[in-house]
Amino acid sequence: MPHVPPNMKIPREEWDRRIHDVQISKSDLNRLIMDYLVIEGYKSAAEEFAQEASVVPEVDFDSIESRMKVREALQRGDVEDAIVRVNELNPETRLGSLMRIILDNNRGLFFHLQQQKLIEYIRQGRVMEALQFAQEELAQLGEHSPEFLSELERTMSLLAFEHSSSTPSAIIDLLSPAQRMKTAGEVNAAILESFSQGKEVKLVQLVKLLSWGQGMLKEHAEFPKMTLDDEAILGSGSSTSL
Amino acid sequence: MTSRPPRSASIPIPRASVSTSLNRNIESLISIPFITNGARPRLQSQGNRTASDDHHRGVGVAHGVRGASSSAVSTSPVRATARSFTQPVGSHFRTPSRSAATHEPRIIRAESSRNIDPSCLPSHSSSNSPVRTRRPSTAAVQAPSIQRNRSTSISQSRSTPASFPPPAYLDHSSFKHFFQTESPVSSLVGSKADSDSRTYSGVRSPPIDSDDDSNASPPPREPPVMSVASPDQPMRLPTRWSHEYRHSSLNLSENGRDLSFAGTSCNAERDTAAATRSVHPIPPACGVYYYEVQIHSKDQKAHISVGFAGPDVKLYRLPGWETNSWGYHGDDGCSFAAERNGTSYGPTFGLGDIIGCGIDFSTHRAFFTKNGTYLGPVFENVGRGIELYPTVGLQHIGESVKVNFGHEPFRFDIDYHVQQQRQLTWAKIMTRPLDPTLFVSAERSAATEEDAVPALPPATEQQTKQTINKLVFAYLAHHGYIKTARAFQKQTQGTAAATEGEGEGINSAVSGGGDDIEMDDVPGRSTLEADIELRTKIVNSVLSGEIDSALQETRDHYPRALVAEDGLMLVNLRCRKFVELVLETAELDKKMKAAIAREEVSTPETSELEDGMGMDVDDETLSGSETPVAANGRGGFRNGVVLDGTGTTSSLFTEAREMRSRPPSARELSTGQYEAALNAALAYGQTLDKDFKATENPEAKDIFLRTFAILTSSDPLTAGGAITEVAGHDARVQLANELNQAILRSQGRPADPALEMMYRHTAVCLLQLGLSRVGAAAFANMQKEFLDA
Repeated sequence: MPHVPPNMKIPREEWDRRIHDVQISKSDLNRLIMDYLVIEGYKSAAEEFAQEASVVPEVDFDSIESRMKVREALQRGDVEDAIVRVNELNPETRLGSLMRIILDNNRGLFFHLQQQKLIEYIRQGRVMEALQFAQEELAQLGEHSPEFLSELERTMSLLAFEHSSSTPSAIIDLLSPAQRMKTAGEVNAAILESFSQGKEVKLVQLVKLLSWGQGMLKEHAEFPKMTLDDEAILGSGSSTSL
Repeated sequence: MTSRPPRSASIPIPRASVSTSLNRNIESLISIPFITNGARPRLQSQGNRTASDDHHRGVGVAHGVRGASSSAVSTSPVRATARSFTQPVGSHFRTPSRSAATHEPRIIRAESSRNIDPSCLPSHSSSNSPVRTRRPSTAAVQAPSIQRNRSTSISQSRSTPASFPPPAYLDHSSFKHFFQTESPVSSLVGSKADSDSRTYSGVRSPPIDSDDDSNASPPPREPPVMSVASPDQPMRLPTRWSHEYRHSSLNLSENGRDLSFAGTSCNAERDTAAATRSVHPIPPACGVYYYEVQIHSKDQKAHISVGFAGPDVKLYRLPGWETNSWGYHGDDGCSFAAERNGTSYGPTFGLGDIIGCGIDFSTHRAFFTKNGTYLGPVFENVGRGIELYPTVGLQHIGESVKVNFGHEPFRFDIDYHVQQQRQLTWAKIMTRPLDPTLFVSAERSAATEEDAVPALPPATEQQTKQTINKLVFAYLAHHGYIKTARAFQKQTQGTAAATEGEGEGINSAVSGGGDDIEMDDVPGRSTLEADIELRTKIVNSVLSGEIDSALQETRDHYPRALVAEDGLMLVNLRCRKFVELVLETAELDKKMKAAIAREEVSTPETSELEDGMGMDVDDETLSGSETPVAANGRGGFRNGVVLDGTGTTSSLFTEAREMRSRPPSARELSTGQYEAALNAALAYGQTLDKDFKATENPEAKDIFLRTFAILTSSDPLTAGGAITEVAGHDARVQLANELNQAILRSQGRPADPALEMMYRHTAVCLLQLGLSRVGAAAFANMQKEFLDA
């Protein structure tokens, strides 16, 4: 018979003492901030931060900018421009275009880029081009993967619904900015990966770890939970003064 | 087995502050978060206490072992001890990898006790009993009913277990600093135990053959208390087979590794067997635990079972037959989990084979290897909710096994395997959906959990990003990175606008979007920026010793910061001003002496008088307190001045003031300056002294006293000890940080950046998970994921 540990309670005082004993320095935190600014493409903030906090970033700031241009192009819906820009990212590479390297190594990404292009055609009402593009470029990708195929079908059904209010949300979502951001995020991550930089923002991981850790611990102990609501982050009455 | 980098045992020196940074801001100098005046003495005293405790149970004994047993395969017990005792904090409780005198445990401890003393973590009150290895209850309740063999080979049992460092694959666990392979106390005590006839809880402890076993000898029918509830206990790893929990037909070698069947062969129906288990259970915080046994038998199909078992499984049965035991059998290659007939699993094994047994606490599945080949995962729920021990069972004469708990390199590449598991576990954690209640207030979150309000929709990526934007922004503002904050805000708004352009109001959909961090918004930019600038200016004033201006600005703009906490901050600032005045005096004193020394060359005869002059503050203090003070630091001062009555301090100031009027021809400009400075310092000191007498606040009194103590030294910056601690630059940094926090607090903002708290809170969660036997926590290594470059 398994022995289940008693649900213990950790009082706040004890918790706080442990909190204070965690070793984390300001320069550690500064590097986490820099990681975020760089990967998320906040170029000028990253530059200022390098100065103000004496943090040396591991990338040159120009690469942030070009990466962001790709992202912006995708967020605008200009897939063609995004692809051109990716290719410009590293023209010296002798292995051929970077885009090809990235895309060759990541069929999912390639599909999603093409899918985004299709979505943009449909958004612009260029039905004929959309159909042709779907048949010529996307259909063969779909043949290899049932997942791609169903995604393709979902995208094509945009044509059927004509943006009415009765359109199922799963389909209309494809036209939302979130879809563009999703694609842009994937491309961003792929580029970062090809530069062998970390692709996931450490602060995002930290939030995930916090979420997981608290969720797990809840099953074993009672403890003071942390939340990331505005008051916890910015303090009381922060919305105006900040 | 390479020796570990000494990070764990290194002295956590606060990151050096760079006072000459061109970009002076709050950050440039504040590098000691979280140490408050109040906390410091407390930490110190705890540190001291622990040091002595450790001496009892750790270091001192380790030396003893060494001396007592030359046979110990000396892989430096001291090193391992130092590691586990000074830093039994997970790697996320990290210390900067500066200096690392790993072989000087006591020195390390003295340092670390002030910063991260592990003992400061939890429950000092309860668990710091010096003799800890022997649990009274366990020792007293040596239940006789269990099949236990202590009649044979007692002489052997006195042996020292071969000592070895924790195996390298355990480095993948974020709890690696907790693991301990030696048990120095028990070995030492064990050798004396029989003759000592010690008593515990008034009950005379029965002679036990190996004290090692005392920890692992629970009362038979009662599951043992789950070990490790507090972070200051090391986690013992299996190091040897148990004498206590060993069937009488098994002979165990001195070092606890070689086990041979010495009885009459068990009957052919396989009803019976002879089993043993390790002394210590496996800490689930290992993440993955692995050991190997080498088989000796007559043929290729040994009637041997290796695996894992709970604490009190019958020793006359093969592992795998009984509940709470899991085994891989050599004669048929089957796996057994509480079953009479096994399940086909792997090849048979026998003579010369090396069988590896692994348990993954993140999945609670076991795996086995044969001669370095992985045989795949097997069983479910292994060791869930029970203590788990390596175990082995033999049946035939001529069969024996030699265990490798990490004594020597493993045949199987366990390191790689664990690395894979770690990555897998990490990936799993990272792909779990976020808890949406994380982003709402604690009240609302609690209400959701109690089903008082409907569950929140799943957290979106957008929500996460916005939250992080706020965290980052608040962090930048907190530390006064004003230009970065400005640029960051501009860009976040730009992005939000671009996204919103064509979209259908992402921002409106998700709780106001980035609006919360808008500096440009209504009262806007000027307020926030001016605020950061002002705060930075004040902090910089403190850092450069211009306390008056810091005080004035704070008074003008953040009056509430000064009155909070009974005006402690004001006391702190005023005391610092006094310190600055004294330091100035000391500096001028030096200059004056230098000038005199120069003059001495021409007119040597005046030198004596001048020398006496230069020392007068010092002399006066000494005579006033009648204590050889400087060396004694704070303690000496307290005894001398305070306990003699508070009158002493003021007379000290008065006398010293009179003294300065004694002298010199104003032939030296420096002498004049010195006098003026001394005068000012003493005048200020007198006003402080009045405040000191007026205050009832013990904390304030303490601050005053520590400040006055610097008078006992002619050169506080080099005097060392508490005096230098009060006078030195670190004290400025600390004060600047405290003032920054007080100002922020007075504005209703968090005293520490939420981002930093998020890191700390997460680390504490993980630590507690490890202590709560959640194996997956071992593979969430914050140090590695977030800090190592």
